[in-house]
Amino acid sequence: MKNLLIVLSLLGAAISMTAQPKSIEAVVQQINDRRTSGSFAQLLIAVQLPGVPSSQVVASRVLVTAAVDDTGASLLDAESGEPALEPNSRGSMFDEGEKETPVTVALTLKNPSRKATKVKEVRGEVELFMPAKDPNSVAEVAKFLSFSGKSVDHKALKSNGVEILLLSKADIESERKKIAEAHRKEYKEAGYEDGEDLENTIASMMEYTLIVEESDVPVRIKDPHKRIQEIEYVDSAGEVQRVHARNLHEDIGAITTWGDPPGADWKLRVKMKTSRNLERHAFVIRDVELP
Amino acid sequence: MRTVLRLIPLGLSLSLAFLAFGQGVVVEVDDVTDNRVTAEMLRGSLDLRLRLSGAELEDATAARVIVKEARDDRGTVLTKGDANQPDFQGREYNAGTVMLSLLSPARGASSVLIKGNVEIFAPSRDPNAMVRIDKALTKLDTPLASKTLQAAKIELTPLSAARYEAMLKDREVTEEMIAAMRAEGKKAGASEKEIELAIGLAQALGGMDAPPREGTVLLAGKRSSFDQIFRIDVLGADGEPMDTPERGSSTRGYDTIMTIVPREPPAADAALQITLLTAKSRLSIPFELTLELP
Repeated sequence: MKNLLIVLSLLGAAISMTAQPKSIEAVVQQINDRRTSGSFAQLLIAVQLPGVPSSQVVASRVLVTAAVDDTGASLLDAESGEPALEPNSRGSMFDEGEKETPVTVALTLKNPSRKATKVKEVRGEVELFMPAKDPNSVAEVAKFLSFSGKSVDHKALKSNGVEILLLSKADIESERKKIAEAHRKEYKEAGYEDGEDLENTIASMMEYTLIVEESDVPVRIKDPHKRIQEIEYVDSAGEVQRVHARNLHEDIGAITTWGDPPGADWKLRVKMKTSRNLERHAFVIRDVELP
Repeated sequence: MRTVLRLIPLGLSLSLAFLAFGQGVVVEVDDVTDNRVTAEMLRGSLDLRLRLSGAELEDATAARVIVKEARDDRGTVLTKGDANQPDFQGREYNAGTVMLSLLSPARGASSVLIKGNVEIFAPSRDPNAMVRIDKALTKLDTPLASKTLQAAKIELTPLSAARYEAMLKDREVTEEMIAAMRAEGKKAGASEKEIELAIGLAQALGGMDAPPREGTVLLAGKRSSFDQIFRIDVLGADGEPMDTPERGSSTRGYDTIMTIVPREPPAADAALQITLLTAKSRLSIPFELTLELP
């Protein structure tokens, strides 16, 4: 029994050791200690990772576990939640033939004391979203509008358990009828009688319900494992068009450029996080001179 | 954090005016941001948003703060040392607050002392502050005729598109200008990198002058003339200033070109209304304040 416990303990230690991310070199590039009586007071440190080419990183985030200045004050902001992956804008600007540059990530801390002269130490992990590491990272669907009324078919979507149903005009009309009928039922149960008053009330409510704008592509997205990181269009000229998601009604949403609607020959590109394309590395920076 | 100070008039004439009305101006530090940066070319700054209030401001169209002295409690001088004075800022913008930018104080500093003047611009106090020039756009490429402008030594010329294009061509950055910039930069102690950046910026700005859109009012003059002008409006058929979503000015050396783009093209016989920063329309009140650094 004792031997079994020792074996289990060693096994636990081994698992815990393998779960530790590898450490990575981190070089401080820029420091911005923004001290204000108004909003957005913060210490922002931009850190370059010399071993990671910027072009391979689509998004990143830094999870700081400890940060302290040379007065001993902690710089961790207990009120801030876990940071989200932020797009790497410099990565997308890289052209082939140009000299490859390392990726830069940013970490946000509380303002150190004015008496502090250095950030003594910051420890944490940097998470890098690198779609090239997994063939199932990106689903690129040509002429995606042809899927109107159907689920978009792509093996990367299936592999990640993601379903994107493009709703047709008929689907939206049908949904609107269902919603109106549900309201009608509720009102009648509350004592309303069939007639002009009830219909006017329902019509008035429907003026603000499930309204699809011209630039909207209405969708129903199922993403149980929260894999979707980014959705974008690629237009006829091959240019990426940034897409925003908005909710229309309950589980029905819309993707939109806030501008022109997508063309019939445009592509839909969905970037997804997987266990293979999310890399975590431990880092530590020390003795950072404060401005 | 907020510091409220009643301005103390120092000059006798100002004191009399101040006391005669029994009113003052209150300066409130609305927001202070010490933006401290370590990066190659970037410099930090101490940015203040000041709220001005008081009876003297009731008829004011604009205000500005001229800093004469600013230093932190470690003795660091925070004034920028350039001769350029900030523009008057319209009271209708940013809730009447005035922005002020100084150099970064020392990290170990805890407070900053600022001495200077609040300048108030109230055109209603001087009948000569508003000049209306009828049919101002009928004689392009000829200086506007106005006794008031002449008396103030202000010369403004409405430009034709052809003259404007010719002036832009004259403004192109030449090799001689680049050599002069290099020499000036070296004399001022700028690094090679800073000089090259300035030259690149000048070249980029030179290429930004686009052909004017239809209905754009173009005015040329000496920088010293525009320095005496608060605002130029194009008047519509109703005699009121036209809505101008775009306006700007570009200065090279001593010459300035102003572009005013009304929402609708102005009538061929449109009038211009020029609001001048005359001595009688301005009031300068000394102040002194101490603020705590965040």
